[in-house]
Amino acid sequence: MFTKTPDFAVTFPSQTNMLKMAVDLTLHITTLSQFSPTDSQKVALAIDEAVTNVIKHSYQNQSDKEITIEYYLNADGIKIKIIYTGLPPILVDEEINLKKMIKNKRKGGLGVRIMKKIMDSVEYKTVNGVNSCEMIKWQKTV
Amino acid sequence: MKNFQIRTKINGTVAVLYPRGHLDAHNVARFEKEIVKQIREKNYKIVINGKELNYITSAGMGIIMGYIDEVREKSGDIKLCNMNQRVYETFDLVGFTKIYDFVSDEQAAIEKFDHVH
Repeated sequence: MFTKTPDFAVTFPSQTNMLKMAVDLTLHITTLSQFSPTDSQKVALAIDEAVTNVIKHSYQNQSDKEITIEYYLNADGIKIKIIYTGLPPILVDEEINLKKMIKNKRKGGLGVRIMKKIMDSVEYKTVNGVNSCEMIKWQKTV
Repeated sequence: MKNFQIRTKINGTVAVLYPRGHLDAHNVARFEKEIVKQIREKNYKIVINGKELNYITSAGMGIIMGYIDEVREKSGDIKLCNMNQRVYETFDLVGFTKIYDFVSDEQAAIEKFDHVH
């Protein structure tokens, strides 16, 4: 179980120049939480993808909005919650077909696939106009 | 210093792109501009040498996805070489390592074009 209040939180403007900060911060926190370097890098990539989706799709590249990332830590893993307003996500629950995407010259649509491949759970919610993307990564048990 | 830079070298009929640094949604436009430039100049044989690329997200991979069919239709391709393990694993996460041509080094990538008639 994770605590109800985050161990760490950061709020920043909805600008893509903030992505590297979110990645570096997540790397730092996951490393301190004893995740392996490989898992830390993967979790940071999942956060990059999630925040990119928020900026691009929910805020439609408006740069004056806010995004909050909350980190909840315990011995078994990490829960990361991204909180934002804007448009709720439109999620299509079907396996993507890469060959078809290439044929259609698609440039997007891979972010959620990456997040789901990396994290043990990815859950989107919208409550009273506030959206959240909650992701959990468990520590590997030896 | 910028987090991402890119330069191109023309080697015979092959355009070799050298992306450097951190390729994410913030700087992906620079990467796309370089790919589009090569296509406009009818350089359809493209190698992306990732020896100095240390990070990529779906934004960068999406650009390759968006243009690879166009160059393949013109008897070209986008081949990738010298990717470090972290970057290669990111391509592998989405399944691109099965669809794109990953080659160990630049010379091998260029030679693969030479064998296409």
